[in-house]
Amino acid sequence: MRWLYANWKFFITVAIAILFTSFIVDSEIKRFQLNGFAQGTTWQVTYYATDSLISQESIDDIFNEIDLSMSLYRSNSLINKFNASEKGIKADLYLKSVVQKSIEIYKISNGTFDITVKPLVQAWGFGVKNVSINPDKKSIKSILKCIGSDKIFLKNDSLLKSKSCIEIDLNGIAQGYTVDIIADFLETSNINNYLVEVGGEIKVKGIKSDGSNFNIGIETPDIISELPFRKIVSIKEGAITTSGNYRKFRLQGNKKLSHLIDAKSGYPIDNEMISVTVWAKDATTADAYDNVLMNLGVNQSLKLLKNTADIEAYFIYLDKNGHVTDTETNGFSKFFKKETDLKK
Amino acid sequence: MSRRTFIKHSGLIAGGLILNDKLFAAISKNDFKSINIGIIGCGDRGTGIMKVMKELPKLFKITAICDTLEFRLKHAIEIEPAKSYKNYLSLLEDKNIDAVIIATPLNLHFEIAKAALDANKHVYLEKTMTHDIVQALELAAITLKHSKQILQVGHQYRSSPLYYKVKDMIDKGYLGKVTQVDARWDRNWNWRRPLPNPGLEREINWRMYKEYSGGLPAELLSHQIDFINWAFDTQPDQIYATGGIDNYKDGRETYDNIQATLRYEKEGMIGNFGATCSNQKDGYLFKIKGTKGTISLLMNEGVYYPENTTRKELETVDGVTGATKITWNNDGGFALLPEPTKDGTWYALKDFHQSVTQHKLPDSNIITGTKTAVAVSMINKSAFTNTIQHWLPEYNQIDVKGK
Repeated sequence: MRWLYANWKFFITVAIAILFTSFIVDSEIKRFQLNGFAQGTTWQVTYYATDSLISQESIDDIFNEIDLSMSLYRSNSLINKFNASEKGIKADLYLKSVVQKSIEIYKISNGTFDITVKPLVQAWGFGVKNVSINPDKKSIKSILKCIGSDKIFLKNDSLLKSKSCIEIDLNGIAQGYTVDIIADFLETSNINNYLVEVGGEIKVKGIKSDGSNFNIGIETPDIISELPFRKIVSIKEGAITTSGNYRKFRLQGNKKLSHLIDAKSGYPIDNEMISVTVWAKDATTADAYDNVLMNLGVNQSLKLLKNTADIEAYFIYLDKNGHVTDTETNGFSKFFKKETDLKK
Repeated sequence: MSRRTFIKHSGLIAGGLILNDKLFAAISKNDFKSINIGIIGCGDRGTGIMKVMKELPKLFKITAICDTLEFRLKHAIEIEPAKSYKNYLSLLEDKNIDAVIIATPLNLHFEIAKAALDANKHVYLEKTMTHDIVQALELAAITLKHSKQILQVGHQYRSSPLYYKVKDMIDKGYLGKVTQVDARWDRNWNWRRPLPNPGLEREINWRMYKEYSGGLPAELLSHQIDFINWAFDTQPDQIYATGGIDNYKDGRETYDNIQATLRYEKEGMIGNFGATCSNQKDGYLFKIKGTKGTISLLMNEGVYYPENTTRKELETVDGVTGATKITWNNDGGFALLPEPTKDGTWYALKDFHQSVTQHKLPDSNIITGTKTAVAVSMINKSAFTNTIQHWLPEYNQIDVKGK
């Protein structure tokens, strides 16, 4: 009996020990990372949790659903059906919310952000089809008749257009929207400490396992910093996106044509801007705004942002003397982290 | 040149690569004055430079050419129908010429450069600067007296933004403490040029003969030796070299296989410089190895490989935002520049033009050129005499005068 009792004590001790150990192991916060290729670029999801809560396939499914809705590279996508239609189509939830947000920013930006820019993008050779000859004044004038987000409408479940030649291109906002959708998915999966990145558009929430904020490198032309991503920002929550002129362009003689087309004039943007990095609460807004600010130039952008809550920005541009320089809004400057000192 | 000036210079050039042309236009608008050029020596290198100059028509006008060989002149005239001379002294009398390019066999560098300076011409002198140490020091003294003229030495590879960037990274500590440099320039052929007639052997294949050439160290390794001298602002204190005519026993005198070990005492650094004509696997290899990382260079591309601890420091970011993303290579390094640079000669000639029109000391100048010529001579002396060569205090007189 005594033996049994002693053994009982032993068993209980061991059982508690095992339970305790497993509790410690289970409650340890670990870093999980998923990577993939979608939307013509790479993506990554990093999150901190006690166990792996989501699968690679679930993220791939989200990309697939979004592509079926708004990819110009999928022949059967809703966006392509809309573009080919006479009057419009029945839209899904994705398309409806992105178009709604786009129209909202179209109004705020006085038409600078305009998803109906597609015929112009195509004419300048930055669309799905290759183009070798630039459009002339006359053809731009005629294309401009089919431009303007005031010519598209959301009505019940439908996305409608007032002219059949209206076509939309969501490249300036869809990637940011995808980031938000993935972030929502993480939150519904009980993940509250994460970084989602698709093609350089990022959203973060929470902290890492060591209690620190997520650090995001801003890729800069190497004249601004020695190595890629030497400007580092540290943020607690929100989205960071970048739009830039310095890699994606077409050569026209010696001149570089920007891939960003001004929907009002019909011509590629030709201003001092090199890149704009925007912080906003959500990636859809940040992504749309980086286009707006690229178009506006530094001075007008700073003016606009003075009266806009919850949007901050960092600009790299050519000054009057043709030298590369940078500046940022006051709010953005608080995000900067001190550079890594390699000489220490 | 002060560090600040250097960074400004390199930064502007590097930026021009990836930004739009506005930037270049902005810095170059004021110095688009074309200078008249005489080419002395129209072999492969001389005509090669002529072709690059033709890409820069706003900067250079080739008005005269000179070679002792008729067929070479004929070939050069097809590139640019300039006035032709058989004797360089006659070319130097041409008052219309602002500057000369000297691309002759090495043994002629000194006398032609001296004559050109005396004739008030600016000089772009092909590497290696001179055939021996005495000539190097004398040309340095002569050049310093001709303070109104520019003498640039044709170590063209380091004129490219890539090599400026590497120097800047070394200065900023990305490599940490550098202890080793590995440099090779290998090929698998006899390094001979075809002869129109056998009588021209020594004139055309001058690289095979000690009288005219410093062999592989002078013609190839001098570029990498010069970069290390310049990047670390140093020179080798001690050199041991070995070599031989190990494969091509065809009557040549210069070695077809050479290895030199250069000791840089102040830096605590060893340079291994080697070249063979009997294997081409490595080709051009240039690695600079430090406690924090390695830079591996080709002529127009470079990759930075951080050591593991440095990688962790650099990877303090959890994500990267950018117009288009830069990613690490599969082998754990990342490219120093987003796209390969042009041929080094293009940048070297732009630097030469800028030095002449703005009267500034070129980065590949008489001081660095002298140091490299001395080091090359020491390598050959060591290899030919089986002795250790030491950098002597008198070689430093150029430093004192130069600064």
